[in-house]
Amino acid sequence: MKRIRNKKTFALLLATSMLVVLALSGCSGGKSAGDVAPGNNGDSAKSSSSGEQVTITHYTIDSEDRTFIEKLIPDFEAKHPNIKVKVEKAPYEQFDSKLQTLIAGGKSPDVTSHYGYGGFAEYYNKDMLLDMNDIIQEDGFKASDYNIPDDLMKIYTVKDHVYGIPVNMYVTLMLYNKDMFDAANVPYPPSDYEDKSWTFDKMIEDARQMTHVSSDIAKTQYGVDFTWSERDMRPLYFGAEPYSPDTWTNGGVPSETHFDSPEVIAAYNKLFNLILKDKVSPTTEWSKSVAGQNGDAFVTGKVGMTVSGSWSLAGSNDFPFKVGVAAVPAGGNDKVRSVLFVDPLLILKGSKHPKEAFEWIKYLVSDEVQEKSIDLSGGNPPVNTKAAETYYKHFDGIDPADVKKVYEGAVKYGFESYNHLITHYSQINDMFINEMQPIDTGHKTVEQVMPTIQKKVMEIIKR
Amino acid sequence: MSTIPTAGPEASPSVNKRRRKIDAVSIASFIALLVTTFLMLLPLFFMVSTSLKSKKELLKFPPSFLPETWQWSNYREIFDTLNFSQMYMNSLFIGILTVVGTLLSSALAGYGFARYRGKGSNLWFMLMLSTMMLPYPAIMIPQFILFSKLNWIDTFLPLIVPAFFGSAYNIFLLRQFFSTLPDELFDAGRIDGCSEFRMWRQIALPLSGPALATVAIFAFIYSWNDLLTPVLYLSSSDKFTLPVGMSSFTSSRFRIPPWHLLMVASVLAMLPIVALFAIAQKRFVEGIVLTGIK
Repeated sequence: MKRIRNKKTFALLLATSMLVVLALSGCSGGKSAGDVAPGNNGDSAKSSSSGEQVTITHYTIDSEDRTFIEKLIPDFEAKHPNIKVKVEKAPYEQFDSKLQTLIAGGKSPDVTSHYGYGGFAEYYNKDMLLDMNDIIQEDGFKASDYNIPDDLMKIYTVKDHVYGIPVNMYVTLMLYNKDMFDAANVPYPPSDYEDKSWTFDKMIEDARQMTHVSSDIAKTQYGVDFTWSERDMRPLYFGAEPYSPDTWTNGGVPSETHFDSPEVIAAYNKLFNLILKDKVSPTTEWSKSVAGQNGDAFVTGKVGMTVSGSWSLAGSNDFPFKVGVAAVPAGGNDKVRSVLFVDPLLILKGSKHPKEAFEWIKYLVSDEVQEKSIDLSGGNPPVNTKAAETYYKHFDGIDPADVKKVYEGAVKYGFESYNHLITHYSQINDMFINEMQPIDTGHKTVEQVMPTIQKKVMEIIKR
Repeated sequence: MSTIPTAGPEASPSVNKRRRKIDAVSIASFIALLVTTFLMLLPLFFMVSTSLKSKKELLKFPPSFLPETWQWSNYREIFDTLNFSQMYMNSLFIGILTVVGTLLSSALAGYGFARYRGKGSNLWFMLMLSTMMLPYPAIMIPQFILFSKLNWIDTFLPLIVPAFFGSAYNIFLLRQFFSTLPDELFDAGRIDGCSEFRMWRQIALPLSGPALATVAIFAFIYSWNDLLTPVLYLSSSDKFTLPVGMSSFTSSRFRIPPWHLLMVASVLAMLPIVALFAIAQKRFVEGIVLTGIK
């Protein structure tokens, strides 16, 4: 029967195609994204000699505060008729997996940043990043011409090789609910980092006056929420250093970590005591139930002060109460009081047109564009010190002088965020969240948990 | 969601008598059903209620049950803030073609596996089933390389074409159904001089309403909800599908996500599924009633 044969051919076709897929997936297993990329791009032959029209892609998160760059493209293309810019995007959650697939599939974007869960060190150690030294030398690029502080340039320079140009700088600051301070008759906290009276203990004292715990969850309010950012960074703030200093010089691989040291344990205890002993901070469950999916109880107006990234400022106009910014109180470390989150622009190794990509990056960090970007993005803080003046004035209802003081203090007492600078960071972060869970709920003490964390951090780093 | 249809059009008197006897039981079960229905509808209710709240009201705790001010403008706003209608059409387009492709290919392959025996057909069947064990991330990169060599990146093709090559689960489902059809039907067809293809089209397919409806629902829901594949293959905003656009709602690490708009989007995104379910369910019941074959 002819038709039967047809059916069989179809099934055969199906099966062979499945086999091909199987075989293909087999060979991809051993290779990391990085080493598949360069050899694989079929159209790498297209040269990028000047004059010829080239298209570069900028890969970013699909959210308004990132995709605003699309509005900057027409002007750039007018100035550089031979370069076309295309923006590729993905939702935040899928940012990393799409990037890896793009690179592995030989469709590497030219410009991106570490906007997903993975940080700069992860990209660097996977050999995904282009060393910009040659391009910088040829171009004569100087950070000072773009009003980028030298300190910030150092963050993404490994062993004198530049791998990223900073574009945005977020700092850690304290937001406070002015209405709650007024109601409790407590004076507002200072925005000046040099104000010596603003200490961790003073913060607890203020918080106590605003804390009312009631059996009715709706009537309960807390003075302070100090659960900012990644967990392994918090000890730094109290003068304890969990990662050995060589971490910052060798591409994010610490030779030692000290998570079980008495200093680190004491630091964590100080923070957990806010919840467990002083009872001026909400428990994780309470925050979750009050804030719902937003995850931040502060925005519901039930927390007096919160330590947070300056990105929260961008949403402050929507808060149902008056907001102020203050310095992070002194916790005992004279040098570090604010964690900085500096986002760089990176050129990927798989880029076919690195020179044109660099032109685009230069355009994005230029004075004029940095200034324009503040408004277009809805409040992204520029690295450009000239444009920063405009940024300070961007937020309705918050005194620009306060924002300025908080920013200047943060730069002076700032430390670049670990999540950008330590290898395998997404795994470390996940592990921290899991292991510390029992402390949140009061089932284990800091002393019990830290030795396990210390062991696991080292295991992850050595992978 | 639609309610469960009761069997049979009109109850006869004898049935009525029987019903009266078990009144107590049926009242109890009715109440139980009512309570569970209410519990099931609660999240749905909150979705609709949230979609009508203002942004400031979202932050209130405890959350209000009904919106204080019914902000119907949210439903207009969603079409202004995003290219929502474009995404909706993209999703529909991909979804419908996926259903067509899946039905065609899986019904053919399933029919083949059910009705014809050949050398090693069991082996091929096992091999096909084994593809179900491959998780998507395992084939993600090779598939991406394949489609990128075909220059299909940033087109709908990678999302539609694979459906025309069948999927193991649906083929299996249809094969099981086709094997329950009595041989006599096909023998009769053969005697009447029916071609093999015509038997598939005019005997097997019309009798398979329920199974085809099930496959159609599965295929559509899968395509409608799929996030990872469109994220990988689509890069331009005008090609985005609903899930990509909706997950971008919460993408900003810097702002309070506009949950009210997300809920508007969810309500609107739910409609085709509800519609499809209502239609397919009717077919499902009809299929049983008409053929008498189960």
